Amino acid sequence: MDRGMVIFLGALLTFSSSWLGLILFPYWQLNNEKPYQKEPGDDPYPMPLQGEALAGRKIYQANGCIYCHSQQVRSEKFGNWWDENGQEHTGADIKRGWGSRRNVSRDYIYDNPTMLGTMRTGPDIANVGSRYSEAWQHSHTFNPRALNDWSIMPSFAFLYRKEKVVGERSEKALKLGREWTVDPGYRWRPSASEWDAILQQSGDAIKSRYLTEPTHTGGIDPNTPDGKKRLLDFWLTTEEEGIQIVPTGNANALVAYLLALRKAEVPVPEAKE
Amino acid sequence: MSSVTVIPLHDRERAAAERASIDGSCRGPVLYFTASALFWLLAGSILAIIASAKLHSPYFLTGIPELTFGRVRMAHLQAVSIGWTSMVTMGGSVWMMCRLCRTELIYPKLLYVSATLWNIGTLLSVGGILLGDGQSVEWLDAPPYAPPFFVAGLGIVSAWVAATFRRRREKHVYVTQWYILAALFWFPWLYTVAVFMIFWSPATGVVQPIVNWWFNHNFLGLWLTPVAVGTAYYLIPKIIGRPIHSYYLSITGFWALALFYSWAGMHHLIGGPIPAWLSTASTVGSMMMFIPVIAVGINHHMTMRNHFHRLKYSPALRFTVFGAITYTWVSFQGSIESLKDFSEVAHFTHYTVAHAHLGAYGFVTMIFFGLYYYMIPRLTGREWSSSTLIRIHFWCASVGITIYFVSLSIGGWWQGRMLNNPDVSFGNITRYLLPYLFSRTVAGILLTIGHIAFATSFVMNLAGWGKKRTGGPTFFVEKVA
Repeated sequence: MDRGMVIFLGALLTFSSSWLGLILFPYWQLNNEKPYQKEPGDDPYPMPLQGEALAGRKIYQANGCIYCHSQQVRSEKFGNWWDENGQEHTGADIKRGWGSRRNVSRDYIYDNPTMLGTMRTGPDIANVGSRYSEAWQHSHTFNPRALNDWSIMPSFAFLYRKEKVVGERSEKALKLGREWTVDPGYRWRPSASEWDAILQQSGDAIKSRYLTEPTHTGGIDPNTPDGKKRLLDFWLTTEEEGIQIVPTGNANALVAYLLALRKAEVPVPEAKE
Repeated sequence: MSSVTVIPLHDRERAAAERASIDGSCRGPVLYFTASALFWLLAGSILAIIASAKLHSPYFLTGIPELTFGRVRMAHLQAVSIGWTSMVTMGGSVWMMCRLCRTELIYPKLLYVSATLWNIGTLLSVGGILLGDGQSVEWLDAPPYAPPFFVAGLGIVSAWVAATFRRRREKHVYVTQWYILAALFWFPWLYTVAVFMIFWSPATGVVQPIVNWWFNHNFLGLWLTPVAVGTAYYLIPKIIGRPIHSYYLSITGFWALALFYSWAGMHHLIGGPIPAWLSTASTVGSMMMFIPVIAVGINHHMTMRNHFHRLKYSPALRFTVFGAITYTWVSFQGSIESLKDFSEVAHFTHYTVAHAHLGAYGFVTMIFFGLYYYMIPRLTGREWSSSTLIRIHFWCASVGITIYFVSLSIGGWWQGRMLNNPDVSFGNITRYLLPYLFSRTVAGILLTIGHIAFATSFVMNLAGWGKKRTGGPTFFVEKVA
């Protein structure tokens, strides 16, 4: 092989083969897929994202969400596991409630970029829009550990604004206890001396508020160490007075995108197994 | 032992003078490429530690949008893939091509332009991602304003390597040259097609991830692998002073790689919403990869046979052989991973991350370290000033990558088994992984310490701290057998 032309032609031919087979052929096969309509006059599926949800996809992209969350529900026949009796089962994605059917190529025709993902450090979210409410999504995006103590997802507190309440509390304000809102992104807890100072100042008010809670467990004595701790635990779950956390436009957009992720819901014929 | 041809003294002197003149012509641009690459390696290492720490300690550096996990993760990949490995690939290719063609580099100044373009592109890419312009297209996260710099920079290098090859004085074309020529022909094509079909004129729906994984897998397979394998083919015989074991195995290895590696990428989408035949075709391609890998493995091993004791003395050889051996194992593992039964567990887990690092670090990066230890003294005319720093580098790198690979492979495997079982809650899977993710941070810190030792050596060499080259290279042990 002392001739440059042999190397050049060989490199050209071998690489062309994979280019034709893995790129051009699938392109020809899949690039012109159309939305699905069961009956004429039905809403076609899928529909392109619009408005806030479309803007939200940019936020999803910019923050690399794809590196922990896939968007593809796999077949009922895919992936096996064995129960306690040694019985073999398959199809964990659907059994976990990540979608009601497997995903097919048609689910993605309006995606750009198409973020299938190849990592599940977090759960699959192809169909997350049908699983959680808007309020849940906002609280979870603000600080995931406020809802799941085991979560290792980053806090996106930087997409939220902390402000003084003027007049009424905003409808969109997050309903989270002060432990999550005093230091956005972190979990706050006063030191022993700070808590003593707070008790000194407004201990009675906190105590009477505690007693109005329907779930309170009877009398509490803030002078005993145990009572102090219980009162603190309660107080941390109450909202900060006069302060609210509201989503910025970017947070609203991101959550709109997450709510629009409903890729494994509408039945399409080719997803049947 | 085979008979040794005695080369007359004046021929040896002439050859040495010729080599010195070739090295002289390459000095500026190749040092520029390698110094830039090393800078990006350090930047990538710091980003890696931040990203890794965030996965087990989510409150680490919380609240800074630029340092949120997803962005740092993307920036790390760009810094090490585009910044580090690609810049060594280009700089090393230029030097080895000149050496093997026995010809000086022409118009070296244009290669400064190329490296500068590439540095600007990488800076825009890493900086842009941190500031919120990341694209979330795996391996191609660079913001849309970066690719033109890469295409232009790459174009110059490819043209220069081709021109050097055309001007060759040595009639025989060595195996390293095949690999370099092919890689510098494939990669521009690969990169342009991928950027075109994903960004400039986006294909519909799942065609994008198909193009994406064709690119990603070939980035390793047709860009880094050929040049790294070619480097091992160049360095091993050079250092031990003995020709490659078999010319025919070299040919088999080269053509089988060219044909099969390029077909292997689609198993990354196994079980996904793509036509099943695509994954199947890639599984076939991946299994066929046993052929080139075994051919190269035997060839390197047989060349090294009876010379393994030299690993004790030569730093360049030690790194190169570590990488060459890893190439065999990581490729075997990759072929097995493409099988459906195996992928059903390993897919979507840290197992794949461990495999990717074994390939990009244990194999490619280790061989490139070997290349630095061999090439830099020949370019600067100075030896490495401290064998202790090299030792620290080697042990941190080899122990670090081992901890990385072992911990994430075990953790990732069980992660996959648990993901397949809907009775195991997601919270439990996350909790289970924490110690493995923590081990990865420890590994990352070790690797980074090694990189700092390496960078220190490099800067000292450039600053003229080492002794002048008078023949003998730096050894770990001064007494040479």
